[in-house]
Amino acid sequence: MRLHALLLLWISAAAAASRPPLDTLGIPPQDEAYFRGGVIRCRDGSGKFTRDKLNDDFCDCTDGTDEPGTSACPEGKFYCQNAGHSPITIFSSRVNDGICDCCDGSDEYGSNATCKNTCWEAGKAAREKMKKKIATYKSGVVIRDQEVEKAKVAFAKDKAELTKLKSEEKILQGLVDKLKEQKSLIEKAEEEERLRKEKEEKRVKEEAEKQAANEKKAPDASQEVDSQKTHGNVQEDESKVADHHDGHASHENQTPENELSVVQHDPEIQDDTSIKAGPVDESPPKDTSAEPTKEQEPTPVNSEDLSREELGRLVASRWTGEKVDEVSKDDKKEHEAEHDMPEPSEEALEDELDVPEPAEDSYSGYRSEVEDDRHKFDDEDFPNESEDEYVDDHDDHVESYKSDDDQKADDHSDLTASGQASWLDKIQQTVHNVLQTFNFFKTPVDLSEASRVRKEYDDASSKLSKIQSRISTLTDKLKHDFGWSTWCHTAMRIFLSYRSHKQGKEKEFYYFYDRCFESKEGKYTYKVCPFKKASQVEGHSSTSLGRWDKFEESYGAMEFSNGDKCWNGPDRSLKVRLRCGLNNELNGVDEPSRCEYVAVLSTPALCIEEKLKELKQKLQVMSSNQAGHDEL
Amino acid sequence: MDPSPRPRLIPLLLLLLLSFSSPAARAWKKDEFRSCNQTPFCKRARTRGPHSLDAPLSLDAGSLFVSSDGSLTAVLTHPSRLRPLLLRLSALPPHALRLQIDEDYSTNTPPHRRFQVPDVLLPDVEARTLHLSEPKTAGGVSTLALSSDVDVVVKHSPFELTVRLAGSGDPVLSFNSHGLFDFESLQEAKAEGETWEEHFRSHTDTRPRGPQSITFDVSFHGAYFVYGLPEHGSTSLALRPTRGPGVEESEPYRLFNLDVFEYLHDSPFGLYGSIPFMIAHGDGASSGFFWLNAAEMQIDVLAPGWDGAASTENGRIDTLWMAESGVVDAFFFVGSEPKDVIKQYISVTGTPSMPQQFAVAYHQCRWNYRDEEDVAGVDSGFDEHDIPYDVLWLDIEHTDGKRYFTWDHSAFPNPEEMQRKIADKGRKMVSIVDPHIKRDSSFHLHEEATAKGYYVKDASGKDFDGWCWPGASSYPDMLNPEIREWWADKFSYENYKGSTPTLYIWNDMNEPSVFNGPEVTMPRDAIHYGDVEHRELHNAYGYYFHMATADGLLKRGEGKDRPFVLSRAFFAGSQRYGAVWTGDNSADWDHLKSSIPMVLTLGLTGMSFSGADIGGFFGNPEPDLLVRWYQVGAFYPFFRGHAHHDTKRREPWLFGERRTTLMREAIHMRYSLLPYYYTLFREASLTGIPIMRPLWLEFPDDKETYNNGEAFMVGPSLLAQGIYEDGQKSVSVYLPGKELWYDLRNGSPYKGGVSHKLEVTEDSIPSFQRAGTIMPRKDRFRRSSTQMVNDPYTLVIALNSSRAAEGELYVDDGKSYGFEQGAFIHRHFVFADNKLTSTNIAPDNPGNKKFSTDCVIERVIILGLSSAAKKAIVEPGNQEVGIELGPISLRRGSSSVAPTVRKPNVRVVDDWIIRIA
Repeated sequence: MRLHALLLLWISAAAAASRPPLDTLGIPPQDEAYFRGGVIRCRDGSGKFTRDKLNDDFCDCTDGTDEPGTSACPEGKFYCQNAGHSPITIFSSRVNDGICDCCDGSDEYGSNATCKNTCWEAGKAAREKMKKKIATYKSGVVIRDQEVEKAKVAFAKDKAELTKLKSEEKILQGLVDKLKEQKSLIEKAEEEERLRKEKEEKRVKEEAEKQAANEKKAPDASQEVDSQKTHGNVQEDESKVADHHDGHASHENQTPENELSVVQHDPEIQDDTSIKAGPVDESPPKDTSAEPTKEQEPTPVNSEDLSREELGRLVASRWTGEKVDEVSKDDKKEHEAEHDMPEPSEEALEDELDVPEPAEDSYSGYRSEVEDDRHKFDDEDFPNESEDEYVDDHDDHVESYKSDDDQKADDHSDLTASGQASWLDKIQQTVHNVLQTFNFFKTPVDLSEASRVRKEYDDASSKLSKIQSRISTLTDKLKHDFGWSTWCHTAMRIFLSYRSHKQGKEKEFYYFYDRCFESKEGKYTYKVCPFKKASQVEGHSSTSLGRWDKFEESYGAMEFSNGDKCWNGPDRSLKVRLRCGLNNELNGVDEPSRCEYVAVLSTPALCIEEKLKELKQKLQVMSSNQAGHDEL
Repeated sequence: MDPSPRPRLIPLLLLLLLSFSSPAARAWKKDEFRSCNQTPFCKRARTRGPHSLDAPLSLDAGSLFVSSDGSLTAVLTHPSRLRPLLLRLSALPPHALRLQIDEDYSTNTPPHRRFQVPDVLLPDVEARTLHLSEPKTAGGVSTLALSSDVDVVVKHSPFELTVRLAGSGDPVLSFNSHGLFDFESLQEAKAEGETWEEHFRSHTDTRPRGPQSITFDVSFHGAYFVYGLPEHGSTSLALRPTRGPGVEESEPYRLFNLDVFEYLHDSPFGLYGSIPFMIAHGDGASSGFFWLNAAEMQIDVLAPGWDGAASTENGRIDTLWMAESGVVDAFFFVGSEPKDVIKQYISVTGTPSMPQQFAVAYHQCRWNYRDEEDVAGVDSGFDEHDIPYDVLWLDIEHTDGKRYFTWDHSAFPNPEEMQRKIADKGRKMVSIVDPHIKRDSSFHLHEEATAKGYYVKDASGKDFDGWCWPGASSYPDMLNPEIREWWADKFSYENYKGSTPTLYIWNDMNEPSVFNGPEVTMPRDAIHYGDVEHRELHNAYGYYFHMATADGLLKRGEGKDRPFVLSRAFFAGSQRYGAVWTGDNSADWDHLKSSIPMVLTLGLTGMSFSGADIGGFFGNPEPDLLVRWYQVGAFYPFFRGHAHHDTKRREPWLFGERRTTLMREAIHMRYSLLPYYYTLFREASLTGIPIMRPLWLEFPDDKETYNNGEAFMVGPSLLAQGIYEDGQKSVSVYLPGKELWYDLRNGSPYKGGVSHKLEVTEDSIPSFQRAGTIMPRKDRFRRSSTQMVNDPYTLVIALNSSRAAEGELYVDDGKSYGFEQGAFIHRHFVFADNKLTSTNIAPDNPGNKKFSTDCVIERVIILGLSSAAKKAIVEPGNQEVGIELGPISLRRGSSSVAPTVRKPNVRVVDDWIIRIA
């Protein structure tokens, strides 16, 4: 009866699409065979039904097997062929609900809705869109390949540099050790010399006293004493460093003592004492201990002291989480004065100090090596200009730029690549010479030779520490996941090799390390520096949206987390979704939940060949559907 | 997207800021609200002992007479009184007594009169009063018959009134039996050296009219428990004693509409709404007491022995009622069962309005869906996950700077287009309209209200200037009918630009909330229309606002479209204007638990269309809590998910596939029960019997049920028990009555009259269909209820021990007032003697309009029927249909357990019989 009504309705409705017969209604062509028998099983094995119950508008299988073409089973799916466009599968809840879901209108065969067949137009539009997308991918793949090549080279270069630096470090370490040894020999000799001289002086003095002569002599000797003093200072400095470490240790050692003293402050014990002390001691120790805690807690607001307006804002702020001093946007006119209040500089300062990271500071000095003059190898020679650059030179119109850290790194690698062999040779040669000279040194120590040794030692060890810091920087960089071949075990790769796309396998994100991307949204500028951090900048104040966390969604998104704390909310975080695009462009920054930001970065890195192939295939299918339409 | 800008270096404000960052500072600010001890009238009344008044009131026997309108009048006085009191007693059928007491202004006229709350009682209440016969007076006692079953005994000195059963003489309700009735006379001027001012924190209440409080005691006889008096956070359905032996909590129940930040889930302090109506129930009697008074009220429920009496009458509960001002206009209701009491209360305050079908379905809200893109995204999110919803809500941020009736044009450039897109899927939208109007000379509404003098005035006579969301704000004086009319006109499509016929309204902050006012509300000495002080009508302000808004929507739709207005504040009678919710609750298990007693209490006091925010407004619910909240909340009459803007997004598909499935199933369950719910809403709109009911409303004789606030009935047929603890493994469910109960998910039968210890499953909360009932369902889920209109029905029959069952189905067009002219169908289904019969129970002559539908019944599931039954005969036509074992619900994996009549395909509008062959 019901079905009858449906059929009648369907006939009367001027449906643009023709409805297939009941035994194929809503069934994808590839599944038609499943429904051929006289008795058909529910796919989930829960039961079976006879063929006359297929699409009879009554749900017999809870998984919807028997009603692919009606809305009778909530768990069912309906297939629309959509000739001229792409076939889709929709929830059976959409069948005959009065809303046209399939462009061929086949889902509304029994409702009052009149669905025009829009597949041809929609398909055409979709194909156009697909073609454009494919074009983007095509160009994107090329750019990506280039970038990947570059990244490979850069990665190799960095890796080579690291290897080289490591071997240099080894050599240099050897030299430094030898020099140190030499230096301590010299110092020992000098000490002996000094003692000898002192003795000598004493003797001379005594003799002079004896002689009661008032002549002044021995300018040489005083000179020597001076130099010894200088040396002594250096030694003292070194021992100070050691002391510093010891200090740490001793500080830690002190902790138990502190605890002990805490134990002594235990109120119960004090109670005992106070009882012993009698009524004189009136302040119970618990009170004294409670007071400071109280002070640590925020002072309760005495709302009675507030003006009416302040009270209003205060109470409102409980719900909104807005800071009390923040004047709502709408009140700008009335409260401009407040808005004119200068921004506090503390935070801005903090931010400047934040950038660049401390670890990067140390190798910023490395740039000096370009000049290849080891005598200039001194920290003071390398002012921290780069920091200022970072703050000042960002240009709102530039969407991506190299981060300064990496400019430094680049500078450095240029140096090391060309000039490095010579400096190591030189230093080796010099040290060799120095050592040779001293292989048979004698007392008294030749002063100029001694200072030369010391100088060589200082230079070499300073250089060593710089190399070590550069090594650590490079190691830090290289341990990042630029694509998983950098970290993934072969076995893992085999295991995962079913993945059709190459996403993340080719260090295509290597060049992201050097870059930051910006987007302006209203009054804010969003700055995303992959592998580093993300921030929201308004004027001179910057809010951290998070530090680099990881790639997510198979290299489809970048996550930054643990940003600045949000009042009444979580720590800020940002998720940057990656899309294929010809340029690196950041946009669509949004905050769907409080302090949880999302953004989209289009980048050639996501233009993957496999995906391109997929798209092409899709287009082919779409076009073949179009052919199907033409036949009709 | 605001990054919460840095603090500017204003020391004071910095200090304030610090105080907010500590979690402790986020909790409820007890200090900011007055306790009884800080409220002089309450403190005074509460510390008084029984029969200790200096000037107890006596009835002047000579003044007693039945007036021409059929009511009985008399004078109450004491020699020391400035002014005598006038008493009026009238009777409303079937068993209600109305007691009115005001001052007799004829002898000594004060500058102001006491306020009587207008427009709350139905206009025909007077017309319905009975003509009382002359009382019989003897020995200082007058007796008068209220009905054949109930009479009233009035003791003259001191004045005391008892409503009792005429036959047995058993008292049911008594007034002033403990001699606490005090009525402070209005004074002309302050006495020398006297001050009337009251101070609370930085606020001064000038109290220019002086003390005028009223106190009395009411006793409920034969009562085990008392219920009602919303709104308070509570895990207990029955009102716990607030004073007397063994009571630690020392505050009375406070009725004072307040916007409480992060309210406690269990506290007698006042929340957003106030209904001074109490129901008492024992196994032999039910009664109710309603005091129509909109001033601050405090009510003590007194523990036995509070008065020092060694032994108390068995089953008597004494209560003490205190109000700051107003008059006595009180109703005593006597019922043979609790539904009688509710019906009588509804007969004076009005029936709940019949909502549109969409309003009964699921609502999705958040503070705030930010822009049109966000709205489109959430809308399509539901479709992508095949989760139905009917209404998408916009909170305050959608406006241009919190100027209601406007749009933030950068976020919502095309509001009409947006609403149309949502409406294309059969869905609606709701926008918020609050009573605070931004004091902004460029805002036409403000300019107009100012020019017309439509704002509430402060004590000095200027427009009251308070602080709320928009900053400096004023409040339209909703007490004035002319201003309500003006307000209603603001909802026309012409005035409310960007609104469309599918946009409905949400009234928030209408307590009213005033951020810089005393107790976050309006000063009591503010002045309303008719020189009425705010203190006198405070609890009804939100009611008038709700009324004006609902009238606006009615006008907008030319009286053809049923309004939907959700209000936070409410008063007795608010049920006539729409739904309410329990306000800003918190995302914790305790608030989930207290939501059930809160919603049940609202239902008992007329507010049948209510619910709590799913998930909890403040804070982030653990995903498991959110799932449970959906499972419980899917039974609330008003079913809405909502969240504070600081919280993470919590649309139902954001917590993994399994939880998406669970939440989808909870929502699906509600959608499948929509025909049942809609039928219950119809019942509520006729009788006031709530949708969600305490067990004792259906099982009034079963003492086990009297204080069960964890389980509840939905209508007469369905019982559910919430799960209120994280990781709960088992739950004890008491199933009342003698008949079986059938598990809603799998049809398993459970015995009635015992507690069952049940294993807790993650996929639903325990829910059961009562044997002897028939529930109509629609088992096809659509995008929204709109698309379900033509879908076929399923009837689920649960046979009782006599192999019988019955149920109802009400259907109309789901939106218009056609039903008032008879455009509806109302069917009665009866299963007996192995046949199911559908008969019409619409009144014989309901009106001149007709409603019809082609909807058929596609499936009849019969729980308790022998599985030997293989076929059925459908009459008329004698068509044979099959009976097969089928699942209880069409969820994947449900096993086939119940005999199911397959495709009888009878139309719901027709009379028919399905005979089991």
